[in-house]
Amino acid sequence: MENIIEVKQLMKSFGSKTALKHIEFNVRKGEIFGFLGPSGSGKTTTIKILTSQLTLSAGEVHVFGKDITRTKDFSHLNRIGILTDNSGLYERLSVYDNLELFCKLYDVPLKRIDEVLGEVNLLQDKKALVKQLSKGMRQRVTLARALLHKPDLLFLDEPTSALDPKNTLHIHDSLRKLNAAGTTIFLTTHDMSEAEQLCDRIAFIHEGEISALDTPQNLRLMYSDHSITVVTEHNGKEIIVQDAAGIEKINEYMVNGQLQSIHSNEPTLGDIFVKLTGGNLQ
Amino acid sequence: MTFSMRRFQAIVQKEWKDAIKNPQVLLMAAMPIMFTLLFQRMGMEAGILLSMPILFVLSMTAAFVQASMVSEEKEKHTLRVLMLSPASAIEILFGKSFITMLISIVVVAISVVVVGPTLTMDYLWLVLMFLLALIMFIAIGTIIGLISRTVQETSISGLPVLLIFMVGPMFAPMLKNEFLETIVSYLPTDHLIHALTEITKGNGFSAIQGDFLNILIWTALSIPACLIIYRKRRFD
Repeated sequence: MENIIEVKQLMKSFGSKTALKHIEFNVRKGEIFGFLGPSGSGKTTTIKILTSQLTLSAGEVHVFGKDITRTKDFSHLNRIGILTDNSGLYERLSVYDNLELFCKLYDVPLKRIDEVLGEVNLLQDKKALVKQLSKGMRQRVTLARALLHKPDLLFLDEPTSALDPKNTLHIHDSLRKLNAAGTTIFLTTHDMSEAEQLCDRIAFIHEGEISALDTPQNLRLMYSDHSITVVTEHNGKEIIVQDAAGIEKINEYMVNGQLQSIHSNEPTLGDIFVKLTGGNLQ
Repeated sequence: MTFSMRRFQAIVQKEWKDAIKNPQVLLMAAMPIMFTLLFQRMGMEAGILLSMPILFVLSMTAAFVQASMVSEEKEKHTLRVLMLSPASAIEILFGKSFITMLISIVVVAISVVVVGPTLTMDYLWLVLMFLLALIMFIAIGTIIGLISRTVQETSISGLPVLLIFMVGPMFAPMLKNEFLETIVSYLPTDHLIHALTEITKGNGFSAIQGDFLNILIWTALSIPACLIIYRKRRFD
């Protein structure tokens, strides 16, 4: 499968501090790639390098097949959409005026404004001044702006962090539709359930190093202790290891008609991260 | 990347919509006209009377407003978004400067009408010098805005510099300090006032060619300085 992003031995230092320690990963065309890590782990630095806002100290980065470390042609940025915490809006202007500017910069028909506002559930607020909007609404405006030019690659840094559950679901649906239409998504989030629901593959980054990279399902299986939780009529909840004795015990419960429920114990993505790094994701 | 009129116009349109809702811009545009009306009642001669709105427009309406607008873009992280769009550095800088320049020219034109001097052909040199100085002050305003992290920082770090340009030529002679007077004699505003005085006295270009050269050098140096700093400091 074609890679949209290829990162080889990427290293970035700020003075004596090394933010990224020779990381390597690829993002495949059409996938939603989760990039998870705690604050200060190197997520934002990576996004800034991938979007040509920062230069790297060593390594190679290809975006859309172009070596962005050795080019002065930044036309590939026209195919990229970016939503980060630092994506600002013109507060004295209306939602429509904010989007109109970028429609004109990207040479997109103005009718696209209503389409993207519909996608982020803000069509009825298009005449509102940005300074009158809540944080969640502003976040949806910045997402709408990132979608205006139908980017081939979308960088989303905590896209739903300020949203209520209803709007989070709405945004998730929009992102799935966008992804189904061919947009590759590079997503960073602290929300493990969001990563699990949306991402095809996930990389955990910690202290500038990638500690694991795979599909959510493979990661859970890889770090599972292969135990099973059973609930029985007399004993209640019981955790059983999958060995010969454990299997015999489950058989016995089934034969005696005592078994009420049975679940495999797979770790959550949060559990895996704690296991890998000894810290949490916040 | 080629210069796109469409993108330039989009930025100008945005700047206009933003400027007319920005109380700081409106105040800085109104103040020179108010000062001109006020000083006119005091019966000052045309040259000195005109120099006040011109100095105020250059330092405040042009440079300080430009600095505030640029630092606001940095503080609110909108400059970063513009830089990641197809708009080039030149389109963004020209687009941002156009409205500041237009407002400054309109304010000076109104002040000239209020003062009502007898205009001669030699005023064309003065207009040219003003336009050069305007470009220079907008470049300096952009530099101050890029160096500042917030709008507040623009007032703290930029305002003193701009005040030196504005009041230096007026007050340095009163302080009778040779060192200060030497420094002020290199300022473009000092030369602009000198040229204004000479022209209103009826003297021609030969009397102001040194002033013209001074402003030309300041303008020629400020533009590349602005572009270099823009490339280094454009991301907040």
